Amino acid sequence: MKHLVLLPLLFLAACNAAEEPKTAPSAQKTAAKGPPAGGPPPIPPYQMRAEAGASGGEALFSNKCGACHLAGGMGTNLLTKQMLAAKRPPQDGMLANRTDLTADYVKTVVRNGKMAMPRLTKVDVTDTQLDAIADYLGKGK
Amino acid sequence: MKITLPPRVSPVQFDTALKAFEGAVGKEWVMATDLDRDAYSDIYAPGPESEWPASAAVSPASVEEVQAVVRLANEHKTPLWPVSRGKNLGYGANAPRLPGSIVLDLGRMTKIHELNTELGYCVIEPGVGYFDLYEKIQREKAPLWLSVPGNAWGSVLGNALDHGMGYTPYGQHAKNLCGMEVVLPDGDLMRTGMGAMEDNHSFHLFPLSFGPDWTQMFTQSNMGVVTKAGLWLQPAPETSLALTYDIPNEEDIGWVIDTVTPLKIAGVIEQNVFIPSWLGKIVLMGQRKDFWDKESAIPEWRVQELLKQHKLGYWQVQVRLYGDEGLNKARAEVIKKAFKKHIDTPPIETWWRQGDAVNQYDPTMGVPSAVALQMGDWVGGRGAHMGFSPVVPATSKHVLGQLKRSRKIIADHDVDFYASFTVGGRFATNINMLMYDRDNAAQVTNIRKMFDALIKGTAEAGYGEYRTHLGWMDPVNATYNFNNGAQRRLNERVKDAIDPNGILAPGKQGVWPKAYRDQAKGGAA
Repeated sequence: MKHLVLLPLLFLAACNAAEEPKTAPSAQKTAAKGPPAGGPPPIPPYQMRAEAGASGGEALFSNKCGACHLAGGMGTNLLTKQMLAAKRPPQDGMLANRTDLTADYVKTVVRNGKMAMPRLTKVDVTDTQLDAIADYLGKGK
Repeated sequence: MKITLPPRVSPVQFDTALKAFEGAVGKEWVMATDLDRDAYSDIYAPGPESEWPASAAVSPASVEEVQAVVRLANEHKTPLWPVSRGKNLGYGANAPRLPGSIVLDLGRMTKIHELNTELGYCVIEPGVGYFDLYEKIQREKAPLWLSVPGNAWGSVLGNALDHGMGYTPYGQHAKNLCGMEVVLPDGDLMRTGMGAMEDNHSFHLFPLSFGPDWTQMFTQSNMGVVTKAGLWLQPAPETSLALTYDIPNEEDIGWVIDTVTPLKIAGVIEQNVFIPSWLGKIVLMGQRKDFWDKESAIPEWRVQELLKQHKLGYWQVQVRLYGDEGLNKARAEVIKKAFKKHIDTPPIETWWRQGDAVNQYDPTMGVPSAVALQMGDWVGGRGAHMGFSPVVPATSKHVLGQLKRSRKIIADHDVDFYASFTVGGRFATNINMLMYDRDNAAQVTNIRKMFDALIKGTAEAGYGEYRTHLGWMDPVNATYNFNNGAQRRLNERVKDAIDPNGILAPGKQGVWPKAYRDQAKGGAA
């Protein structure tokens, strides 16, 4: 399944190192090893999401959006590519790093979908949970 | 999306039904605004989403609430379309087959009732996603592995119930189901397998029952709502060894299949072996326009250029072994010897041992990821895909025949060829990814025509699809035509007997209850 790896390798090198990855504890240890000299950058390790039932925008974002929007996620990969194309820093591919999002924009995208992102239902994320997530991500307000 | 009511239900009746549902699950969990209807439409629909419209969605949180909703649906004659998490992308997502159905969203049923490390299984509800179960296993340090599909955003049970496949020794997901709890179309509750006995200790261990067992009757089915099921899990292996071969030419798939299949049947290879064609690798490296800037299919000369430029074979085979290191070494020798008869280049050998890092994008390692959905970006715009998925005997004769046939139909429609074969034992599934920009009407029309042609041509040659999009459930059902569609006729008789009002998932897999048989259409919806 090498093909699944190639795209992230192209641009994930510069993903925000300040975001300390929460690695999976043990049954499958996922800490990435350093790359060989001159070789491709490492694939980010699997990102454990916050547990279901956690409260607060950051934890809810992690649990509800984390399957795609933590480091190495499908959404992060596509957004990083878009950021690079727009001459913006690749770490802006991580939604949590963005400072130019508004809460209303986040809510609109979640409920209406955007490009490759499907809409989320109220079962996926309730309006109350979405308010908290939008508040957390909407740093540009 | 504007409302489409269920057939023969007036606006007043519909509102009365919704009020009744609210009494069962709470007002918050009956969702019937235009925005809600949008959220329950097929995000990858080949054409307007309004072709497969839901009228509303209702989301119960417990088996008792499911029973209550099903009983109310009978009372008010409002058809339900159950989904586990509704992420069946490429096959219809969470949209219903019958316009106006009310989606029964089981996404709130997220209990992991049991994680048994001694005998390797879990008991879970339909709202449990792959990410949820994986993280539960990690947090409990349970020595168990998942088998994940390419897109692992969805429900574990939903995927197994829809006959999804993975790439580990536990890759045929429906076969891992053992002992299910099911709400029948009249609201009654039953348990399959040994669960038919009250408090039986082997509920999720013995795959049969006393007398006929109904477990598989509830997969790809509209005969009941699965509210809980046992699922067997792979013990975490001590080591794993991947042997990766780049296979240079298109026709080489013949000897690859004839090499892999006997090893798989003999148990030397335990996993489902995934063999993707070259485009599977390129598709995640950028957008189509970066590699070919015309709308017409990428021509063969350009394919050859790209293979050379990116140092790719036409196919890539990765055989992965799991378990004891000594056993894996011995198995690897047998496999390498078999491959050496056809290819001189030795495989790339990659060992993994307990404690080593795991590549999160490698589904043969059981880590859930949604990264495969990045292929949606390939065509640009609102990129989407459908899968054309026939099953063929796992021999060179049948695989090459299928390859040639589907390749010609796809070339005749001037579409890029992106196929994979997965050897599951005596059979191989052939997934053809058909990618399109949803906003390009000509492209969508062409894809639909091609889909019809693929179904027809493949069935005429003696092969059937194992899974399909909502819009083609009737045409594919019609290809299962032995004795004037005896299987369909039996399904209809059973359906009518246990679901006289036809309220559970009318039209699912082309099985229509009497109450809605007039809604069946011969062609795409």
